[in-house]
Amino acid sequence: MSDKIFGSNLRKNIIIIIVAFIGISFIGQLIKMQIIEHNSYVVKSDNNSVKKIVQKAPRGIFFDRNYKVLVSNKPSYTLQIIPAIYDTSKGRIIEHILDLEKNKINEILRKNRGYSKYLPRVIQRNVSFEDIVWIEENNENLKGVNISVEMQRDYSFDIIGSHIFGYLREINSQQLKQNKNIYNLGDFIGIKGAEKSFEDRLRGDKGYEYILVDARRKTIGKYLEGSNDLQPKKGNDIVFTIDMETQKIAEEEFEKYSGSLVAIKPSTGEILAYVSAPEYNLEEFASVTSQQMMNRLRADPSKPLFDRASNSIYPPGSTIKMLAALIGLEEGLITTKTTVECKGGFKFGNRFFRCHGNDGFVNVEKAIEHSCNTFFYKLILDIGLDRWARYIRMFGFGEPTGIDLGNDAKGIVPDTEYYNRVYGKNKWGRGNLVSLGIGQGELSVTTLQMAQYTALLANFGVTGVPHVGKGYLKDIQSNLTPFSYDKKSISISRKNLEIVRKGMYKVVNGEGTATHIKLPNIKIAGKTGTSQNPHGENHAIFVGFAPYDNPEIAVALIVENVGYGGTFAAPIAQKVIKTYLENLEENELDFVNL
Amino acid sequence: MEQSTKITDKFDFTLFFAFVLLITFGLMAIYSATNSHPTASGNFQKQLYTTILAFILFFVAYSIPYKFYKLISVPSFIFSILPLIAVLFVGKTIYGAKSWISFGPIGFQPSEFSKIGLILFLAYFLTRKGKNPNTIKGFLLVVGYSLIPIILILLEPDMGTAIVYVIITSVMLFWSGVDLFWFFLALSPVVVVFASLFGLAAFILAMLLIIALLFYFKKNIFVNVSIVVLNMTAAFLFDYGLSFLKPHQQKRIETFVNPASDPLGAGYNILQTKVAIGSGGLFGKGFLEGNQTQLRFIPEQWTDFIYCVIGEEFGFMGSILVVVLFLILFSRLIYIATHTKNKFGSLIVIGSLSLYFSHFAINIGMNLGVAPVIGLPLPFMSYGGSSLMVNLILMGIILNFYKNRREQI
Repeated sequence: MSDKIFGSNLRKNIIIIIVAFIGISFIGQLIKMQIIEHNSYVVKSDNNSVKKIVQKAPRGIFFDRNYKVLVSNKPSYTLQIIPAIYDTSKGRIIEHILDLEKNKINEILRKNRGYSKYLPRVIQRNVSFEDIVWIEENNENLKGVNISVEMQRDYSFDIIGSHIFGYLREINSQQLKQNKNIYNLGDFIGIKGAEKSFEDRLRGDKGYEYILVDARRKTIGKYLEGSNDLQPKKGNDIVFTIDMETQKIAEEEFEKYSGSLVAIKPSTGEILAYVSAPEYNLEEFASVTSQQMMNRLRADPSKPLFDRASNSIYPPGSTIKMLAALIGLEEGLITTKTTVECKGGFKFGNRFFRCHGNDGFVNVEKAIEHSCNTFFYKLILDIGLDRWARYIRMFGFGEPTGIDLGNDAKGIVPDTEYYNRVYGKNKWGRGNLVSLGIGQGELSVTTLQMAQYTALLANFGVTGVPHVGKGYLKDIQSNLTPFSYDKKSISISRKNLEIVRKGMYKVVNGEGTATHIKLPNIKIAGKTGTSQNPHGENHAIFVGFAPYDNPEIAVALIVENVGYGGTFAAPIAQKVIKTYLENLEENELDFVNL
Repeated sequence: MEQSTKITDKFDFTLFFAFVLLITFGLMAIYSATNSHPTASGNFQKQLYTTILAFILFFVAYSIPYKFYKLISVPSFIFSILPLIAVLFVGKTIYGAKSWISFGPIGFQPSEFSKIGLILFLAYFLTRKGKNPNTIKGFLLVVGYSLIPIILILLEPDMGTAIVYVIITSVMLFWSGVDLFWFFLALSPVVVVFASLFGLAAFILAMLLIIALLFYFKKNIFVNVSIVVLNMTAAFLFDYGLSFLKPHQQKRIETFVNPASDPLGAGYNILQTKVAIGSGGLFGKGFLEGNQTQLRFIPEQWTDFIYCVIGEEFGFMGSILVVVLFLILFSRLIYIATHTKNKFGSLIVIGSLSLYFSHFAINIGMNLGVAPVIGLPLPFMSYGGSSLMVNLILMGIILNFYKNRREQI
């Protein structure tokens, strides 16, 4: 070959020929496809398209600890319109049948005109069954109008539990971006409570269906007899630790109050009842939540969306006295024989701290029974602030409990560092400490923390992280797969715990502040408390457990702005304890009968 | 020599407007394919921003002194190899290939950027002073150097890009004047193997073509016979070697040969793409009106199947316009390559041409169902920042050499 020159004419021409050849063959192919065979492709495009349909998986449902249904699913019908094939002259009659405002359909279509004309627009959710029938009957004349069936939450089981279950909302674009392999536009996702905590288990796996559709998006049939289809997989059902009957009673008791209640099984940390009042109506969240409704709930001065059980903090009042007593016993500052003479109060510096009664000489057991302030004023001065704070924290105060319902408040446990920060160095004195001795002042705790504290007292220093999820069911036949939670234990001697428990027992069964809730057949131990509230009436508090010898339930509750703990809070605790223990017997009998 | 001061003498406006129009059509098509898409709706805006960035890079590449490119040719090749190695360890796997490196939200494809390194390096190597590339040693050295990135890319494995690297190397060797017979020797097995995929008839046809070319080269009988035997062996070995390919690659080859064999898997794309383009007709269904596009029959349409958005929504007129714009672009590149006195620059232009052209041919061929489904983007049009930036940087370099086309060195 003679042609071995850089960029020769021959080589240039070879390149031109190749480029031209490919270019011309593309043009030829385009002529063939788009002009000559155009019609056959149009037929294919119109008639014979395989479309992948995503089928949503039903969400897992909720059971209580005895497998009674708490929350389930029900179908809901949504009316959709595909603008590309919708006949606008039919708008009026549809609006009439569905009782929609005049011109609402056109308005919705106009608002969404930026999207593809082939994407269905949601006109109305929760369409009634009669209206569905009418639309199906007039299918032929209502082109582009269709009904899609979605599952929504069914809350018709006589239980509220709004702060346990939480709710779902349509996924937003940010959540969608983070999980684009899992969710599609318009999917619902748990954003509060258990719906959020157990989202991964609850949502299930989507299914796929391949269908043949024509250009009007009408189904012609299944593709390949459905051999490529994939069935959706229902989400796992969640079994809660909640006891439905106990929860119901607690909710009833709180109907006319603000406040919260947490009942725990002391040995495990399983939450048996969990109420934050006022509640909100989950039914309103079952379908799409309107911004209007959210705004109304957020503006409500009683704050129904706020979970008081785990996020409101209050001074625990006299219910903290058992802890002070324990510190004194553990540290050897007092014994059962140590007595203090109570003359109706305690003089500290030039201030006088009052006590309710004039109890004479009291020992530690009696001090708890009568809630004697004088005893504890003196005791805390002996304990000292930082030692006191260390023990308080040991019982779980001052840090979130780690409950499986999302973030709970940690509260405030004041110590030297705290007071220095708040008041400045040397600008506070031991007077602050005296108030702490009876659970007033800066110490602030959640009801949930109080319940955990009560459980620790009840079960001799051992419990579990409080939780509402017991486990999940893979499917209907399979057994419960339990969730696992950490244990929580404290090193306090059993002997000293017994002394304090004895005091609590006498509060109800001796001459204490809650003898009116004494039951003949159930030994309840407890402690009343009143949380001082500078903004209004005091908050009533009660913590307690039963049966005294072998505790099955520990309760802590607070009723806001009503007054004394003994008067308002203790009777509620009594009812809750009674309901649970009586049901426990029945359920055990049921199991035996099985 | 007379120096023209006219601006048209310093800047090839035909070439510039050809690719600007292509980018514009590309953006429109990306908008159409993603505007109602649940997860990709932000892609249009992202592409718009990368386009602005790419144009800045274009003007930088156009403005810096052209002699600079020779200086950086060797280092840029070396530096483009490193990310290709890194991607094998830290790369993100997308569609079975480890081809992405990401820094937080920003990701890039090393195999795109290393194209610039390869082209600059080969242009430098083939025009070294006092060295004749037209020797067996020179030829083998070039092949050896090019094989480094090619093997690294095959390891990802990204078959399509590796093919483009082979084409770039071959065309640049070809342009530098290397003996055509060597090409014939190297490329004939490829042709035979490719033909063998389509069955016996195609295979025999390819063998006949090779025998005809052997007559043209007039080598002795011994050489001729051994070449024929070698080619036949290659075809049989390839057939055997197919079984070692990854399943998704086997499937692609199978569905290319017979799209109907897997209408829901890999063949689904080809069928739906053809339906989209064919149903577009003469004038198309109108912007944002294509039901195949808007109903998302073709997955990830904004990347490798962007051409069928044009085909469906702008019809024959739009499709032809895109092909014609590319042909204008290619003709300008051939013109610049032959009119640039600087051999180094001329080779860069030809290397870039082979890059644009191979992408064009494979991508549109795939969209029209006449080439296998090899995942390669359509230059200037497909969604993707790395590829757009590389294409515009090369355009900047090309126009830089056009501006200085009368300079010998």
